[in-house]
Amino acid sequence: MYGWIGKILRVDIGSGEVTTEDTSKYVPQYIGGKGIATRIAWNELNPGVGPYDPENMLMFMTGPFTGTLVPTSGRGSVCGVSPRIYPTPWFTYGTMGGDWAAELKYAGFDAVIIKGISPKLSYLWINDGKVELLDAKQVAGLDTFVTQYRLKQKHGDRTQVVCIGPAGENRVLWSTIQHKLSNSIGDAGLGAVMGAKNLKAIAIRGTGGVKIAKTEEFIKICRQMAEMIKGGPTNFPHPDKDHFYHAPIGPGNQQCSHGCPLGCGELNKNVPAGIAAGSGTRNMMTHCEDGVFIYGESATHYPTEDIKDIYDGDMYTRGTKAFGKRLGTELQSLCEGLGLTSAFPINYYPWFWVCIENGITEIKGVRLKPDEPTFWFEFMKKVAYREGEFGEIFAEDLMRAADRLDLPPLVKKAAKFQFPMWGQPSHRQGRSYEAQPSPLWINTMLHWIIDSRDAMASHHQSSFMAGWMPLHNEGKGGTPDSNMERLKAAYKKAFGTTGGMEPGFENIDDKTRLAIWQDNRAQIKDSLLICDWVFPAIIHAFPSREEYLEAEDYYGDIDAEAKLLAPLTGLDIDTAFIDRAGERIRNLDRAVHIRNYGRSREVDSTGEWYYEYPEKADGTRLDIKIFNDILDSYYRHRGWDKATGHPTRAKLEELGLKDVVDELENKGKRTS
Amino acid sequence: MASEVISAVVPKSGRIEHNPDLCRGCRICEVACSAYHDGICSSQLSRIHVVPNDLALEFPAQICRQCEYPGCYYACPKKDKSLCIDGETGARYINEEECIKCGSCYRACPFTPSLIFVSEEDGKKRYYKCDLCRGRADGPICAEVCPRDALTYKPKGKSK
Repeated sequence: MYGWIGKILRVDIGSGEVTTEDTSKYVPQYIGGKGIATRIAWNELNPGVGPYDPENMLMFMTGPFTGTLVPTSGRGSVCGVSPRIYPTPWFTYGTMGGDWAAELKYAGFDAVIIKGISPKLSYLWINDGKVELLDAKQVAGLDTFVTQYRLKQKHGDRTQVVCIGPAGENRVLWSTIQHKLSNSIGDAGLGAVMGAKNLKAIAIRGTGGVKIAKTEEFIKICRQMAEMIKGGPTNFPHPDKDHFYHAPIGPGNQQCSHGCPLGCGELNKNVPAGIAAGSGTRNMMTHCEDGVFIYGESATHYPTEDIKDIYDGDMYTRGTKAFGKRLGTELQSLCEGLGLTSAFPINYYPWFWVCIENGITEIKGVRLKPDEPTFWFEFMKKVAYREGEFGEIFAEDLMRAADRLDLPPLVKKAAKFQFPMWGQPSHRQGRSYEAQPSPLWINTMLHWIIDSRDAMASHHQSSFMAGWMPLHNEGKGGTPDSNMERLKAAYKKAFGTTGGMEPGFENIDDKTRLAIWQDNRAQIKDSLLICDWVFPAIIHAFPSREEYLEAEDYYGDIDAEAKLLAPLTGLDIDTAFIDRAGERIRNLDRAVHIRNYGRSREVDSTGEWYYEYPEKADGTRLDIKIFNDILDSYYRHRGWDKATGHPTRAKLEELGLKDVVDELENKGKRTS
Repeated sequence: MASEVISAVVPKSGRIEHNPDLCRGCRICEVACSAYHDGICSSQLSRIHVVPNDLALEFPAQICRQCEYPGCYYACPKKDKSLCIDGETGARYINEEECIKCGSCYRACPFTPSLIFVSEEDGKKRYYKCDLCRGRADGPICAEVCPRDALTYKPKGKSK
């Protein structure tokens, strides 16, 4: 096979049984990554399987692009039933960069699907097609860095390791699956599943490779795409500073992923340690929200004063405290070492302040001091080791903690405000971070209410364009309006219409169709796999601020995925195929959620309350009627039934999912 | 013996220089190299090996230095047929069709680990090394694709 390796590894770590199956069962129609994982979930994940059951599968997936010259392609995805999802644990996904996914392909596998529960703490050693389940005694209880270091020492320095830290071993709901310094499956909550499986790590070494069908053409198109994204997705002028959001590529920046020519991460090398370690230095790569301990998150949610005006004191949040490079790096490194999601202060910090300002200065014997770094050291350690009642409670994450604690209604509501849907932390869903005037927040709202987790982990493309780029160039030679016009020109080129980008609640059909297209492409990104910050490339990147300001429009190339996949695999693949595959994966994911968890219009609507609060830039907000109009339109363009939110038989058959719709009906789910 | 070797002067070569301070371990050079030479994206089959120490944020790489006195060339029992000197670039390269897989070049490389790489498939050994992408119009592909300018091609005459 070209592009794919051709084998999927299956390990039952309970019985020790190791088998393989052909990838060709699933491709090209499910592409790879999340696409294949979703098909396997449909085939094998029965309703009622909980996150800690042996039948739950932890699926480490790669895609056809992984490990190749495709720019940003070193990513892998991990899927399974997550205990973190609130109120009902369900099947979800996460993706991360690093080198493990490429190494897995070089070792001879497109994926490794893990079932069962190991009788004792173990790790999986995958070495060029050979698989062993080994005793993890020597790395038990160790942090994620030392675990990787020890396993590299044992198996060679070119070995790639994914692992859990103490938090994962103790089934903390917001624990990570960690790789290298700061790559992780974080918000998905799958670290706890790995812990429950008694699987400390997977170590991978491979000397094989990914075969290319049409080498010359493939290299050429990869070079073109690398040129198009040069400068990076985050290379948009910062509103207040002379530098770009993330500094352009330089010695201080690093890519997060194998095969990526960009440098969105900041390298923090040899930062002196102090408060926790007492001596020595720390190395970290800081990337987006895992820098929150260092830089704070000043733009998070509404500033206090604004909120007080809008909500009459009912609800507010505040930006997260910045602890600076030295302390911040140390806090981040403790967090990633324990194996906790490092973006957590964005939501916990303001919530603890809500507690304090409502008279709760202590929880289960622990004084709340969110401005003190020592508080966070203590907090993370208590949580990771489930120390005392305090640790036990917060190891269950904030939504479940708020349910268990005796708190005033306002404080409980504040928790919900931080985790508005699915128990997932707020993240560019349309009322947080930077402003997203209508129609931009409508777009991101639709992604959140339809997805199974924080959708923005795979829908950044919409949120970047929405909240970030057009609005943040004021005072630097551009205005929100002029940027918006150029962005619209890019949309016009891509879709022939700018209806989806018009403000207000007009052109709802254009808006929902745009959201559907973006969502389908999000499935593709997580299946190929490529960087969510770059693709799909409606916009191209800018190597310099001047070029950005002078550009007539921002259009990139939305055919990039097909142009890259065709010569890699030698298959007759065009953009229509890509869009259709994305639609197939979303519909199949929907079917899994309908069959296993009763996903419905009613469930989708649970996030509606959040959007009744006004957006901060333009004051636009939902009422239930507008929300229902938007949802009607979304379902109509999806080919989903208006009343139930279930895909119709016609739609599923059109996507080649006849067996799926038959089973849905057998299970008594309405599909028309 | 030694004087005999040194007297066998071979034409100078260009070389690729790797700067570990600029390198960030993205390994695009590896997949581009193996894609160009073998139609496969692979770390192991690449003629440049980046061996990042991810946890220490250090990024050393291994690539043939195209030695002025190339031990591999002197050691090859089929020199100029198997281990050859490229007239254009000066690259010391292996003509795999002529290679008898004796491993002399691999052992003669003065660097540890050897900068001639070896792989084994179906019991068959294969020796391969950097050939400066001889014959490629734009020069070595690794230097072209490096997004960090960590790899620089110094054509012969300019190299020290």
